[in-house]
Amino acid sequence: MLTVENLTISFRTDEGRITPVQDVGFSVAEGRTLGIVGESGSGKSVSTKALMRLLPGNAEIGREARMRYTSKSGEDIAIEALKPGSRALRRLRGGEIGMIFQEPMASFSPVYTIGNQIMETVRLHRGLNGTAARDLAVEMLTKVGISNPGARVDQYPHELSGGMRQRAMIALALSAGPRLLIADEPTTALDVTIQAQVLDLMRDLQRDLGMGMIFITHDLGVIAHVADDVAVMYLGTIVETGTAREVLKSPAHPYTRGLIKAIPRLDRLDARLEAVPGDIPSPSARPTGCPFHTRCAEAIAGLCERVTPPEVRLAQGRRVRCHLHDETRAVA
Amino acid sequence: MARFLIERLFGMIVTLFLVSIMVFFIMELPPGDYAERYAFRKYSGTGITMTEADVQAIRAELGLDAPAITRYLDWMGGIVLNGDFGPAYAFDTSVNNIIGDKVWLTLGLLFATLIVTYVISIPVGIYAAVRRGGLADYGLTIFSYLGLALPNFLLALVMLYFANLWFGASIGGLFSPQYAEAPWSAAKFWDLVKHLWLPAAVLAWSAMAYQIQTVRATMSDELGKLSVMAARARGVPEARLLLKYPARLAINPVVSTIGFDVNRIFSELPIVAVVLGLTELGDLLLKSYLDLDMNVAGAILLLLTVVIVVMNFVSDLLLAWLDPRIRLGG
Ligand SMILES: Nc1ncnc2c1ncn2[C@@H]1O[C@H](COP(=O)(O)OP(=O)(O)OP(=O)(O)O)[C@@H](O)[C@H]1O
Ligand code: SF4
Ligand SMILES: [Mg+2]
Repeated sequence: MLTVENLTISFRTDEGRITPVQDVGFSVAEGRTLGIVGESGSGKSVSTKALMRLLPGNAEIGREARMRYTSKSGEDIAIEALKPGSRALRRLRGGEIGMIFQEPMASFSPVYTIGNQIMETVRLHRGLNGTAARDLAVEMLTKVGISNPGARVDQYPHELSGGMRQRAMIALALSAGPRLLIADEPTTALDVTIQAQVLDLMRDLQRDLGMGMIFITHDLGVIAHVADDVAVMYLGTIVETGTAREVLKSPAHPYTRGLIKAIPRLDRLDARLEAVPGDIPSPSARPTGCPFHTRCAEAIAGLCERVTPPEVRLAQGRRVRCHLHDETRAVA
Repeated sequence: MARFLIERLFGMIVTLFLVSIMVFFIMELPPGDYAERYAFRKYSGTGITMTEADVQAIRAELGLDAPAITRYLDWMGGIVLNGDFGPAYAFDTSVNNIIGDKVWLTLGLLFATLIVTYVISIPVGIYAAVRRGGLADYGLTIFSYLGLALPNFLLALVMLYFANLWFGASIGGLFSPQYAEAPWSAAKFWDLVKHLWLPAAVLAWSAMAYQIQTVRATMSDELGKLSVMAARARGVPEARLLLKYPARLAINPVVSTIGFDVNRIFSELPIVAVVLGLTELGDLLLKSYLDLDMNVAGAILLLLTVVIVVMNFVSDLLLAWLDPRIRLGG
């Protein structure tokens, strides 16, 4: 339902041009969840904002980028070609693709009730008004497991707890009836116990509604829980993709292996968490060759720091960008 | 909301009480009283020497010999119970007679100024923030610096010159000569409006410059908020989105500083009034204070401070109405 190819995003900044997303491609199949995982600054949010054309004015999407989305009515939409402010773009935002952000408190306007903001969306995308819109708002709140929804609908965001707010945010996104839901670290700001509840809720809703979902996180443990497919991002490129099962079972890229070691596990509680060693280079000083070579224990001297690894296809539709898997590479 | 209202109302009443004591204290402050001034006026040059006993007699006649607490209670009692500000000694009439019309004109000028300030600065500040970095934004920034740098009375002179040039001579003052003494009518009111815009614009000048900057800064902040992006991600049309989400919050700092604006307008009013030939309260306040005609001075001082306190209360209420986090104590 969504295919992204050659997505490159750069920003004009005071310190010059930076390109935090380079040549990214991924796709989401109907009814499946794609997890995008990567450390802070790897370009996860920026890439998904591009899908909604939500990037700020100083951002530029590369000319070769193609973002194809198939709408509810079966129409093929070239997202990169939509005119700003056009009806088609507004229908896409919310009505076709819904988005949930990391900070549930900040995602709501503090001066309108939860219901006001849900009903606005319902009016825009479902053409319902008055009591019908309100009934749907209450129904959505019920669906996301908010108790006493008839009263909650008239409350302000600050009157709800963090977990409730994120549930309400999910209700808000779903009330427009999207076919694809983008969740950008929706549980990071929540307590651990509530995190698990919200994760389960999102997974169940995704299944019940048959939506496609893009789930962004920096935690591979979360991916194991919710995602069907996974794309591992490092410094603005996708270094490995495949089904979540396969990638977690036998990670092909050294970076993915590092991330898996960093998953907290019950049977290893005594052992210290191993974060991927080394510092993340800044996007303005992107390493040449393989972007990961500055931190890679298996780097091939003389090759990795000079030559960008090509994308290598492995079995079961998996792909990886690493010289270790490149059979054709000239022996260094 | 009811609780909030009662709290603020109680706060306002306490403030008003303290204000009345302060005003009374200020009335007591100058050395001497009107009895001495009266004796001096009436008998200086007549050859009659006034003894301390004579002055004392006048004092008793005017009721100025009672202890301060009695005089305060008398004074406040008259105002609160009958709206009577007492006698104006120097004018041989009541304070109410002296200041009556001027109070309404001053209030009219105040509200005209506030309206001009907000009607211009709020939309302009919002526009500048949305078009941040554009030509209009730079133009407005320069205007704002000018507005803050240029003294009001200078601006008043310049505007008076041009207003005279374009609209004829009758622009000074608050009324055309034929309406000055006439009873109120629609025509007189329209005449007042025609005269009011110039002083209102002059008085609004620096507040406008300041508030444009405030609105622009808050609006810029608000535009970057996640809630705005979230609304955009729900497909809310841009114009509506700007008004409903960031603009709604961008006016909060303006609303919360209404009291300051009133205070500043009152401080700038006297000098602007002199330049534009307006008869308002400030001028009278100064004269009566010099004359030791303390009932007049006190009444004016009290009215001006009460207006400021009440406007602060109104600003609190507006803010609570605009922002549920305040209203609901979040
Ligand atoms: N408005 C902007 N102007 C300039 N650079 C930006 C802007 N937004 C993002 N970037 C750059 O893009 C990079 C990637 O940002 P992005 O928010 O996509 O990271 P992320 O993967 O979502 O990280 P996190 O896990 O912290 O959310 C950042 O490191 C930053 O340098
Ligand atoms: S290409 Fe080289 S440096 Fe990059 S991940 Fe593979 S082995 Fe490490
Ligand atoms: Mg992010």
